[in-house]
Amino acid sequence: MIKVTHLIKIFEGRGQVVRAVDDVSTQVAKGEVVVIIGPSGSGKSTFLRCLNGLEEFNDGQVVIDGIDLTESKTNLNAVRREVGMVFQHFNLFPHKTVLENVTLAQRVVRKRKPAEAAERAMKLLTKVGIAEKAQEYPSRLSGGQQQRVAIARALAMDPKVMLFDEPTSALDPEMVGEVLDVMKQLAREGMTMAVVTHEMGFAREVADRVMFMDAGRILEDAPPAQFFTAPKEPRAQTFLKQVL
Amino acid sequence: MSLKRHPAQWPWHGLLVLILLGLAIGLWVATKRVNYEWRWERVPQYFAYRAEAPQDTPISGQVSAIAPEGRSHRLVITPEGSGPPVTVTVEQAQVAVGATVAENDTVGVNFEWRVGPLTQGLWVTIWISFVSGFVGLVIGLITGLCRISKNPALRGLAVLYIELIRGTPLLVQIFIFYFFIGTVLNLDRIVAGIGALALFVGAYTAEIIRAGIQSIPKGQSEAARSLGMSAAETMIHIVLPQAFKRVLPPLAGQFISLIKDSSLVSVIAITDLTKSGREIITASFATFEIWFTVAILYLLVTSVLSQLLFWLERRFARSD
Ligand SMILES: Nc1ncnc2c1ncn2[C@@H]1O[C@H](COP(=O)(O)OP(=O)(O)O)[C@@H](O)[C@H]1O
Ligand SMILES: [Mg+2]
Repeated sequence: MIKVTHLIKIFEGRGQVVRAVDDVSTQVAKGEVVVIIGPSGSGKSTFLRCLNGLEEFNDGQVVIDGIDLTESKTNLNAVRREVGMVFQHFNLFPHKTVLENVTLAQRVVRKRKPAEAAERAMKLLTKVGIAEKAQEYPSRLSGGQQQRVAIARALAMDPKVMLFDEPTSALDPEMVGEVLDVMKQLAREGMTMAVVTHEMGFAREVADRVMFMDAGRILEDAPPAQFFTAPKEPRAQTFLKQVL
Repeated sequence: MSLKRHPAQWPWHGLLVLILLGLAIGLWVATKRVNYEWRWERVPQYFAYRAEAPQDTPISGQVSAIAPEGRSHRLVITPEGSGPPVTVTVEQAQVAVGATVAENDTVGVNFEWRVGPLTQGLWVTIWISFVSGFVGLVIGLITGLCRISKNPALRGLAVLYIELIRGTPLLVQIFIFYFFIGTVLNLDRIVAGIGALALFVGAYTAEIIRAGIQSIPKGQSEAARSLGMSAAETMIHIVLPQAFKRVLPPLAGQFISLIKDSSLVSVIAITDLTKSGREIITASFATFEIWFTVAILYLLVTSVLSQLLFWLERRFARSD
């Protein structure tokens, strides 16, 4: 479903050069859940953003469901509607109600009829447990509720892949569970997912593979049982000691 | 017991009243010193006045009777030869019973309301400001988008236009627009005036809109793009609506300035409120009164507009 080969992303600015993603190659199969962990600034977000073309990369190849992002005739908008993304800071549209947040792209991008879009939206809002807030504006919702709406908004496009960039990092502790529950359910339903998170419990329980990133490279890629009990890399060992 | 007591406010209110009173007295004394005679009673006729419309008799003959009818009078005119008498109704008769009248002689007048030059000038000012404000908004939106475009040609043109307009006085721009561009393109003076004003607000609006667009967090457009929306769709559905809400107060300020700046088009002989004022003064000699009246009219229009925009702002605040 996702195939990345020799991906390189370099940031240049103010005289310094940062190799945010440094020659990364990996694959994610259909229905697989991959959790990406690593210290802050290791390039996790940048890597994720390259996967849906939100970040232009310098070299390498990203293929999503058989479509090569680097090919000039590829329509990035068409690829992005198949790849849902959930952000750390939710990024809900503040001038639209919860329902409109979920219906807007369906109507604009998928050209669905308003009634059809609303029906799909209500189904998803019910699924993430927030249907009763459909007419509210996002500013009236708690962080956990906003993030669940953001997940519903991404799901409304019927994506083949879901990317999560630290979806619970901006939440108060008591709201983390409600968002993780939604994500766990998605994983059970067979969604292909790439999740950047610091929730090790989630990684243990849900992940098929855990990737450890540091300084733009994937240093370790193993099933959670193996990664959490016997990490090979010394840097992964130190990192685990700090977070566990 | 509170540590710090609120100082009493009433002495300051008292002082305010004293200062205002002092200013009024100063004004009165100043006009006394220059022996100015206030003639406020001359002002209302320039808003609206009753014009006399002369009424003629269709036939020649003799006025045989004048009968009052409501506030008018019915004149019965009997022709000299044979034929039926004719009735003419006028508000004020100018002939007496028994008078002989020839065909098409004026026998009386009716009165009708006409709008005066101040009202006409006010109307011209309002519609010129409205049209040039609207055109300027469109120009500003396009220029603002060009200004942040990735295309160097569009960006360069936008910067050049904005700098040219912001670096030169509006009065000079109006002259150039009227005497140069207006002559070359054979433009009507009204079109030239509106064009100059629209280009002027357009440049300032462009900067306001650019700042508004850039104030929307990047996460908003990233979220929209990640859903598969194109750059244009993102702009239309996500960025511009949010930016518009933020730029409403500075835009309102710009349009209020525009109403005042529109007074400069009077230099190319467009009879707006200011030009009307000048024309009335040459006829009436009520210099002070007319200028004060003109100022109050501008104040009236601008404060109505700012109330309107205040109301609009509150409506947009719903989603906060
Ligand atoms: N837009 C940017 N411009 C310049 N440098 C950036 C930009 N985004 C990220 N970086 C740099 O790239 C590196 C990786 O960042 P990021 O992917 O956000 O890390 P993570 O998500 O793992 O914390 C960091 O050193 C960061 O400073
Ligand atoms: Mg990050």
